[in-house]
Amino acid sequence: LSARSWLLIPPQVSELVQFLLVKDQKKIPIKRADILKNIIREYRDAYSEIVNKAGRTLQEVFGLQLVEIDTKRHIYILINNLPRSEGQYLCRGKEKEKMGLLLVILSFIFMKGNSVKDSALWEFLHLLRVYPGKQHSVFGDVRKLVSEEFVRQKYLETTAIPLTDPTEFKYQWGPRAEKETSKKDVLNFVAKIQSKDPKFWASQYSEAMA
Amino acid sequence: ENRESMLNSKSNRLTEALEEANRLFDGVCRAREAALDAQFLVIASNIGKEKANELHSEMSAFDSTAFAEDLLTFMGVNRTEETDDSEDALGGFLPSGAWQTMGEEALKYFRRAPTFHYMMGSFKSESPVPKQRIERQKKASRGKAEQAMPAQLKKMEVSHQEATEKEVERILRILQTHFENDPNTPISFFDFVIDPNSFARTVENMFHVSFLIKDGLAKIRLDEDELPIIEPLKPSGGGEEDIRAGARNQVVISLDQREWQ
Repeated sequence: LSARSWLLIPPQVSELVQFLLVKDQKKIPIKRADILKNIIREYRDAYSEIVNKAGRTLQEVFGLQLVEIDTKRHIYILINNLPRSEGQYLCRGKEKEKMGLLLVILSFIFMKGNSVKDSALWEFLHLLRVYPGKQHSVFGDVRKLVSEEFVRQKYLETTAIPLTDPTEFKYQWGPRAEKETSKKDVLNFVAKIQSKDPKFWASQYSEAMA
Repeated sequence: ENRESMLNSKSNRLTEALEEANRLFDGVCRAREAALDAQFLVIASNIGKEKANELHSEMSAFDSTAFAEDLLTFMGVNRTEETDDSEDALGGFLPSGAWQTMGEEALKYFRRAPTFHYMMGSFKSESPVPKQRIERQKKASRGKAEQAMPAQLKKMEVSHQEATEKEVERILRILQTHFENDPNTPISFFDFVIDPNSFARTVENMFHVSFLIKDGLAKIRLDEDELPIIEPLKPSGGGEEDIRAGARNQVVISLDQREWQ
């Protein structure tokens, strides 16, 4: 965008940028319906233009990428487009610890073939002294964190396994996980923890490199 | 039922079951039976998928137990402290900061957008009640502050005046003492006011002497060499005439640091 064209940006664009930044605080994906209702309102025809320009601003000013993770239902998330920097990250609340738990879960899911049963996941987490029925000193209600918060944030996806009685669920990576990290990154993490070469797990390696 | 035994990669039970279902279907003539058959096929295909998954992971076996142990080590759990398995299962939580260590590492693997927050916070919707309290508090503290202020100022002014007066009196006494001892030798004005060590003090001395002059307690006149000398005056009992008689002159003396040195 040339310097002059910046002047032609409608005010809704900056409003949308702020709206997206605030909505992103809880990491719950943003729905098109909310954008239309709060920001666009009567300018529905200009929706695409406004969203694109907002995305552009987010990228150029903040280094953030606006990604549509569901093209049918039109749901967006913000991810970081800047190269990872060395040094400590500033995090509020339990953000850091939650990401730690999440990475462990995503690793487990991937290494086990991209899908795990609910029971298998909790069996694994037991080994890390994380119990679904027990209040955790760091995570509190862990079951809620995993089955609700991570799922709402689209880090994890949970689906019912058909014809199981009582209904069993399986966990897979959610669309946010797909965008914010990769199988390759996760495999590297596992390899680092276990002091092995990623190639040690041949099929996971070939899948990650695909 | 028998799900686990079917999942066993070495077993052919799934295949056998499918073959049996095929045979049975030939005898089907009612819709309900066909529905049952369909249901069976769904379950069978799920099991089949799971078997395939098991095969998949068996190619590059992932030992989740070993992974968990390595994770604990990474988080700073001292492995040598573990005694028996039962303790592990029922045991308490990890050392504090364990998950923070994990999180610190984990953040490197995510492209997570930092969350945006206003530095000064934002407006809260429940303000009305707290606001009133704050206002009341403010008024109370302001009242106190105001009360404190005048008292302070007064003190300052008083002390200032007192200090000056005291200084002036002191200087007068020095002057008078000197004249008592040696009534015929007036003091050179400069000798009197100049402080060889401090220019500021010199100026202060001149300032205090001016009060004496103003109040008629001392006078400055020029001696034969045209240099100013200072001598105390007795407060005249003669009343106004004498005061009027005393020549009132205005003199401006300029003295800068270089001259003073």
